[in-house]
Amino acid sequence: MDILRSVYQVAGFIVLISLGVAVLEGYFYYHFKYYARSWFFPAALTVFPLLALAGYYGVTWEHPLRVWAYFVAAEALVCAAFRNIVKGRNTLPYLLLAPAFVGLALLLVYPFMFEVYLSFHDLKLTTIMMWKNTGHIPFVGLRQYWNVFTTSPLSEVSFWALVGRTLVWTFSNVFFHVLGGFALALLLNNSIRFKGVYRTLLVIPWAMPQVVAVLAMRGEFHATNGFVNIVLGRIAAAFPFLAHLGVGPVQWLSDYPLLTCTIINVWLGIPFMMVVILGGLQSISSSYYDAADIDGASYFQKLRYITVPLIRPVLMPALTLGTVWTFNNINVIYLVTGQAGGTEQADILVSALYKAAFTYNRYSYSAAFAIVVFAMLFFISVFYLHGFDAAKDER
Amino acid sequence: MASVEFKGIVKRFKDNTVLNGVDVDIKDHEFVVIVGPSGCGKTTLLRMLAGLEEVTDGEILIDALRVNELHPSKRQIAMVFQDYALYPHMTVEENMSFALRLKRTGRSEIEARVQEAAGILQLQKLLKRMPKQLSGGQRQRVAIGRAIVRNPKVFLFDEPLSNLDAKLREEMRVEIAKLYQRLNATIIYVTHDQVEAMTLAGRIVVMNKGIVQQVGSPIEVYRKPANLFVAGFIGSPTMNFFSGQLRSEGDRLLFVNENMKLPIPSFLLHDGDRHAGREVVVGVRPDDVLVGRDGAECSGKMEAVLEVCELLGHRENLYLKLGGLRLLATVEAFFDRSPGSAVTLCFNYRNMHVFDAATERRISE
Amino acid sequence: MTEKEKRILKRRLKFLLIHVAIVVAAAVCVYPLLRIFSVSLRPGDKLFSTDLSIIPPNATFKAYSDLLKHTLFLRWMWNSLVITLATSVIGVSLASTAAYAFSRFRFPGKKAGLILLLSSQMIPAGMLILPLFLMIMKLRLMNTYLGMIIAYSVSSLPFSIWILKGYYDTIPRSLEEAALVDGTSQVGAFWRIILPLSTPALSIAFLFNFTTAWNEYLVARVVLFSSQQYTWTLGLFELQGQYITQWGMFAAGSMLVTIPVLAVFLYSSKWLISGLTLGSVKG
Repeated sequence: MDILRSVYQVAGFIVLISLGVAVLEGYFYYHFKYYARSWFFPAALTVFPLLALAGYYGVTWEHPLRVWAYFVAAEALVCAAFRNIVKGRNTLPYLLLAPAFVGLALLLVYPFMFEVYLSFHDLKLTTIMMWKNTGHIPFVGLRQYWNVFTTSPLSEVSFWALVGRTLVWTFSNVFFHVLGGFALALLLNNSIRFKGVYRTLLVIPWAMPQVVAVLAMRGEFHATNGFVNIVLGRIAAAFPFLAHLGVGPVQWLSDYPLLTCTIINVWLGIPFMMVVILGGLQSISSSYYDAADIDGASYFQKLRYITVPLIRPVLMPALTLGTVWTFNNINVIYLVTGQAGGTEQADILVSALYKAAFTYNRYSYSAAFAIVVFAMLFFISVFYLHGFDAAKDER
Repeated sequence: MASVEFKGIVKRFKDNTVLNGVDVDIKDHEFVVIVGPSGCGKTTLLRMLAGLEEVTDGEILIDALRVNELHPSKRQIAMVFQDYALYPHMTVEENMSFALRLKRTGRSEIEARVQEAAGILQLQKLLKRMPKQLSGGQRQRVAIGRAIVRNPKVFLFDEPLSNLDAKLREEMRVEIAKLYQRLNATIIYVTHDQVEAMTLAGRIVVMNKGIVQQVGSPIEVYRKPANLFVAGFIGSPTMNFFSGQLRSEGDRLLFVNENMKLPIPSFLLHDGDRHAGREVVVGVRPDDVLVGRDGAECSGKMEAVLEVCELLGHRENLYLKLGGLRLLATVEAFFDRSPGSAVTLCFNYRNMHVFDAATERRISE
Repeated sequence: MTEKEKRILKRRLKFLLIHVAIVVAAAVCVYPLLRIFSVSLRPGDKLFSTDLSIIPPNATFKAYSDLLKHTLFLRWMWNSLVITLATSVIGVSLASTAAYAFSRFRFPGKKAGLILLLSSQMIPAGMLILPLFLMIMKLRLMNTYLGMIIAYSVSSLPFSIWILKGYYDTIPRSLEEAALVDGTSQVGAFWRIILPLSTPALSIAFLFNFTTAWNEYLVARVVLFSSQQYTWTLGLFELQGQYITQWGMFAAGSMLVTIPVLAVFLYSSKWLISGLTLGSVKG
């Protein structure tokens, strides 16, 4: 019975969302069709905001005048945009884009703007009740941004140390991802038996749900029951001279948390790079290698002068994406160290950001922090994309 | 079947003018080939007729009905694309019947028309196959079949043979010619290959740089090219051109440059005196360069050096050097002389072409 | 030994080394999964042992039966499945049309839109949780499927649009033009020609939407608060939080959530390579 109800529910959601999309398409369609008529502007300005307000009331049971004013303003903006910019042209592409971009605007751009708003105010545990009751929070200008650079989201680590650690974390991870992915892709690109089976097995870390994969790997680094320490312990027992050199069980999680996280994340990230690079390798025509063989190139020369330049167009976007993902990777660090008041020794910017917001409840501070992090990421990717464009020009 | 009219067609992409005032009339049942080098706007013209490209200015009429704003499917045309554009996820049969299914034609009629088209093109055994299981020539036939099934007023072919190898191309050319006789349809065929144009066309439209250079039957275009461009573009191997001046000497008109002095007979240029002093270009097709022969229709003899011979089979290309000029002659095989030897040559009077050097227009008869 | 025999031997040795290297790498990739499996089979009193064998002595499925009997695990899986499927269907449909507009049309704002998609990838994790939480609270959708679906629906949209656009770009335009001449509208050409041809890219986009939503827990953590409504990620956290006896169940649960995703992932892996590289080359 439960299952049946859920099926109805899912069908209901999809119908609901489709209805929403239909309403949206209709809304834009009529703008495209009638935007130039003289009656349209006043009609639109009365009808659409009232409908929106009715919808708003239906969901929240509130109908403040302020919200209605927002809707009117938004409608006026849309009408103005149609009159002066869109002018009824390109109907189809805009209608095709509308659902996705309205969704993005509501669930991505609006929250982002809200964070920008927060970052200029002071919302924290002590002001949140005031905000809830009066809708007012103190405006503090750029002070939150000042705080970002001068104080720290955590108790033991400074902001600049976090920046440094994040950069080290990002670049060492991406470096090993590419190195490992490249090596495995080169191995797999030979005509060997069981190729399909190998490829399947090698993508398992990527395919596993990340939560499970990270927690499983964390288990392997456990001080007494993890695979790593068991093996280290057995080696030390079997070869006493190695034990004298310091080989033996290590308190991975408490003594070397960042190293542990890095190892785990490298393990997780190699398959993606491998798949991308393998695709690139397979698209290189073998005639280049034949030509190089005739020219007497060695294996490494071929690698250097043929393989690397030719997979660059495939590699660069993957590298950009990989860098952004790693920089932004909260899963590994949070799951390995973050729960239940764990260590701060492995925190990078994004995990510190999460803690600042949800452990220390410094909402405005974390908003300013997030925007600073966003800006950093943006500059890093612009840098990468320039590299990509340069690679494009070379071809 | 139908007539097609282009009236003052202009096409601009932003600042780039692709077509600049194209006027062409195409009559019912005509096989018209639009030919020109790549980038001359011929494909754009065809796509505008199909409704795939907007018309910047001018009018397109099918059967005297203005179709500028009509949806492609309402124009009663069918198009065969350069890359065939067979739907990869449909069988041959589904590909051919797609348009009819969209129009909700009855099943039995669809069946009958697909069978008929398949019969014409010998596709019966391939109907259940997917496009990727077909060879290039078979795909080509399916693409044509898809057009036939729709029973259109006008067939449009956009460089249909350019993706085939040389031998298949010849075969398909003959098939298209046969098809034309059988369907008796209006066909507009775009190509950059002047051999296809010469062999298939009832009328040729030669285009360059967005302008129609000449419209005429293959013979007209070949025998009487309207300007230098047409003369150079039509005919293979390419025509030889020599620039120089016309002079009048006594009652004769002479073409003179550093390396040659040719009498121009009066049946080529009337009123010789009127042309005296004019800068011109003289064109002679390689076939009309007569090597080592005498004849009444021959112009003044000249001495040249043989540089390279190319044996084509029954014909032979001779690359000759005449003073500082290079020219090509095509003669009967086997021309038994070794490179470096001297030969005498003359031009076939009747088929000499004289163009004005400035306007590039033809001035000879 | 002749020159030829030497060459053959060298070749054999090379391939042997390749195989050895790959097998070692594969073992590293697979081993943690096998260890979870091994832990899930252990009897309750042997959970913390230093035994390394995959099938432990006295292997038992008791952890699995306990998990299904004494926790809401099935319910959690079901919750995750409902939320994930609805999210993926919505995400892929929105992405497929938007990507088509980006791939085939020129319109003002196209570049700005693509830049918006790209920069959305740079929003730090955790930044949007608070506003989303407030929004969902305002809409009174806390602790509901719909709230989760709304929160998740656009999270994979930019990446999906990017991949699909890359794939559409490789489909020749003449196919749609042929369809137009045959009598479809532009939308009809998209529906009848482009979509069926894009199955590989659509499956990859679906896979990305699916795995992102299936594995998410940061948003789920703030939106869902009754264990009836938990997704499996939250459920597993609950098991993991409470020591010793739950460790076996945790492993059993991990196995159960991993297997379906793994199956889907491996099934689509042949498309994965082509889809990903096409998307990135053209991107």
